Amino acid sequence: MRAVSNSARVISQVLTGQVWPALADRHGYRIGPDGQPFILPGMGGVTLGVHCGDRATGYAADHLEPGASVRHLDPAANMAVQFLSCVGNQVRVESGPAAGEIGHIIGQHAYVLVDFPEPVAARITTGDAVTIIATGQGLSLAEHQAIVLKNCSPDLLEEMPGGSRLDGRLAVHVAARVPAQAIGAGVGMISEYANTDLMGAYAGLGEDLSLGLEDLRVGDIVALEDQDHRYGRGYRPGYLTIGVISTGQCMLFGHGPGPSTLMSGPADAFALVDDPEANLASWYHADPGAGW
Amino acid sequence: MSGGPGAADQAAERQAGLLQSVAVNLLGVVEHPVLGDSPYRIDADGVPYVPVGDGGIVLHLRLGDSAFVPAGDHAAPGACLVHPDEAARHALVLYSCIGNEAEVRTGAAVGARGAIVGKRGESGRVIVGFRQDDLARMRPGDQVRVRSHGQGFRPAWLPADVAVMNIDPALLAALPLEAAGDGADRVLHAGVRAVLPARLAGNGLGRPAAGWDLDLQLSAAGRDGAEDLLLGDLVAISDIDGRYNLGYRRDWLTIGVVCHGSSPLPGHGPGITPILTGPAGMLRARRDGAGHVGLTESMLQLQ
Repeated sequence: MRAVSNSARVISQVLTGQVWPALADRHGYRIGPDGQPFILPGMGGVTLGVHCGDRATGYAADHLEPGASVRHLDPAANMAVQFLSCVGNQVRVESGPAAGEIGHIIGQHAYVLVDFPEPVAARITTGDAVTIIATGQGLSLAEHQAIVLKNCSPDLLEEMPGGSRLDGRLAVHVAARVPAQAIGAGVGMISEYANTDLMGAYAGLGEDLSLGLEDLRVGDIVALEDQDHRYGRGYRPGYLTIGVISTGQCMLFGHGPGPSTLMSGPADAFALVDDPEANLASWYHADPGAGW
Repeated sequence: MSGGPGAADQAAERQAGLLQSVAVNLLGVVEHPVLGDSPYRIDADGVPYVPVGDGGIVLHLRLGDSAFVPAGDHAAPGACLVHPDEAARHALVLYSCIGNEAEVRTGAAVGARGAIVGKRGESGRVIVGFRQDDLARMRPGDQVRVRSHGQGFRPAWLPADVAVMNIDPALLAALPLEAAGDGADRVLHAGVRAVLPARLAGNGLGRPAAGWDLDLQLSAAGRDGAEDLLLGDLVAISDIDGRYNLGYRRDWLTIGVVCHGSSPLPGHGPGITPILTGPAGMLRARRDGAGHVGLTESMLQLQ
């Protein structure tokens, strides 16, 4: 049964931003797990060829941010953009050759990450202006008060399979379950900003680094075990956090594919359903290569 | 001194092809605590609180006190040093090592001697322990000379794959460490207060161990076997590799010194400054429990 939410009373705000450049410093190199220096793309700008439904790892990239990476020029306005934007919100391109095209937010990573079909993304670049219809913070479920929702648009909640069960638990379909020792950089930060990097997904590197997470896909809905993200991000036995993989391959050690937080609460408030189709690609931009 | 490997023998180090480590005098400025427009942070249960003790000078908190500081947030034993220039601040934090000598250069406590007891990441802070009567005469803005020494130091007696960092060469021998065996069989045994699992590693993961502390996700209510962790204790954490950035690696061990107290923030807690990291076969932790003696005021001549 579809969970009853307060979506009719959640307000929308119109925000603006621009596609932000990739950033580097003059020393260039960063350091991988075994001490290997690297210079690899992935953060900032418009990362092409990787969309929801595609594998998250296996690229020569660091902190791969699929699609367009968006910020606001003013620091305080930028925090509003980062905090209020929610997964599933629509983003319209306002300038440049892709003006008028629509994408969807797939998460935050100190940038708001916007996935577009590949033919659209190919025409967007740094500096292009966008409009975000931000809606979702404040969303709650009347019959699941122990669960805190965040960064989750009412539209996404409506699309996600599962819902209220007769036993009072919220059924959520997840593509993967993540053990607590995989949680890396991002722990201790607030859960309306950036995401939680997962370690143990360094495709192609040592077996001793692996926690079996190399098969994650961009857009996967995942369950983070023993994680309480209601008011920040921390380890808490008996709690569960639902997130969406919004960033991919990392070479930087202690970092990795990252889920943006969607829901968090006591583990017994959830009923997880293992479902490989639990991915944003099932609901948004189903065939990104073809346009829509 | 506790039967450690003994003072580093420079001749042996040269013979082993090791480079001589270099000391650098740096300037730190005693930090003033900073807060945002709102006085509140939010704890793990969603309760707002006003953070006290997060940086600056904290009085009456000393090495050997419990790391669970109920009214504090990341409270550190002594004075935190920073530098007004961001790049100089990072250098101060990266080069300063536990045990390094500090001397107050300005203000009412001029001439007072202290010692580095740890450091913290993010923007970067060096934590300096002083005698309480000296600390009481200090104020934010006082200038402190730090004799930074230790990065690049590697004693000949270390097992091949064990890395050392963030520790003054003269202090390492005073810690509860014993090396045994030869060649590939050489093992470093460290006495520690507790050995914790990787899932308790918190803020600091993914950051460079040479400049950050690693918070332990422990609260007074849920210590997960950490008993009463004390400031200055050595703590081991399993399956964490800290040679470069801090991150998960199976069958690895990282040992650090508890340098600041607990925090109500989720993902935070008492922090360790990493000093040793290596494969679990070459770096082993011995739980000394209540008998553990880590970094003490007497070792640093702060009594």
